Amino acid sequence: MNGYVEAGYVVVLGTLGTYGVTLVARERSARRRVGAGSNKARNAAGSGTSAPAGSGTSARAGTSVPQGDASAREHRAVEEEGPGSAPRAMSP
Amino acid sequence: MSTPPRAVQSGRAAVAVALRVLGVTALVGVAATVWLGLFVTPPDEFMGNLVRLLYVHPPMAWVAFLAYGVASLASLLYLWPRTRAERFDRLAGASAEVGVVFTGLTLVSGSIWGRPTWGAWWVWDPLLTTTALLFVLYLGYLALRRVPGELHVRARRSAIAALIAFIDVPIVYLSVEWWRSLHQAPTVLNPTTQKTYVHGSMAWTLLLGFVSFTLVYIWLTAHRYRLAELQDLEDTEGLEAALAERRAEAVAG
Repeated sequence: MNGYVEAGYVVVLGTLGTYGVTLVARERSARRRVGAGSNKARNAAGSGTSAPAGSGTSARAGTSVPQGDASAREHRAVEEEGPGSAPRAMSP
Repeated sequence: MSTPPRAVQSGRAAVAVALRVLGVTALVGVAATVWLGLFVTPPDEFMGNLVRLLYVHPPMAWVAFLAYGVASLASLLYLWPRTRAERFDRLAGASAEVGVVFTGLTLVSGSIWGRPTWGAWWVWDPLLTTTALLFVLYLGYLALRRVPGELHVRARRSAIAALIAFIDVPIVYLSVEWWRSLHQAPTVLNPTTQKTYVHGSMAWTLLLGFVSFTLVYIWLTAHRYRLAELQDLEDTEGLEAALAERRAEAVAG
């Protein structure tokens, strides 16, 4: 066999495998965080005030993201903590 | 607060099972392509064993084109007011990201093949140059998606960028016809002669490579789409939790 051939297969299969595994790991991690975030919202809402409209699991059930999505993205952009971080409270 | 409806839950379970089956099928297909490509098919009359690289290189390029085609179609559907939906924006982003991975692999596998064949890792050939441009254009598209802004503004400008970048795809494909190129003309079906230049076990292995890597593309795009969906949801829930916390503090204070 030719060394170039082996190198080509290793690069192609290695890259695709690594990318696939990384995607699945990130997806599982995001799923866990979403579950934890949902509980946090539920607890906060239950500790003295009503939850905002469209909050909690109703958002998770639907395929589209509710109205708060745009501001949430802006919030994430301001925080600049990457896709994995849970946003903190907004400044007034 | 309530759990998702039973229909939604069963739908999700069906999608998860379908994705798992797709993943296993793709894996088996890729394994079979590698086995046939490395151990079963004969060496080429002119290229010798180097022909074995061509069982993965053209499928990489095909999948990249497919990915950009899907991204463009999804972008078009987002821009069209009657079909505008966030899922199309997410699909475009997911497909383009996977397309960039496959374009990178097309360039690298082509370069590894080119070194012993042409005597150079890289030549400024029209096909190679336009493919490198395609890679850079879609990297720019992915960077543009991360520029902060309101969701619909970001999605709109990304969709326009995806459509502009897609102009390079037919240029890449036809560059070997339009300009004098070091790269060989299409072998599976030559548009000029309308003939195929691959036969027997080589043709079947190449075909299997195309199918298997297409399945890999679908699997990767589906997972990338689900990740984007979860990230959007996470953003929304995080904001809602923060707002609820602030309200609770205000009531307590």
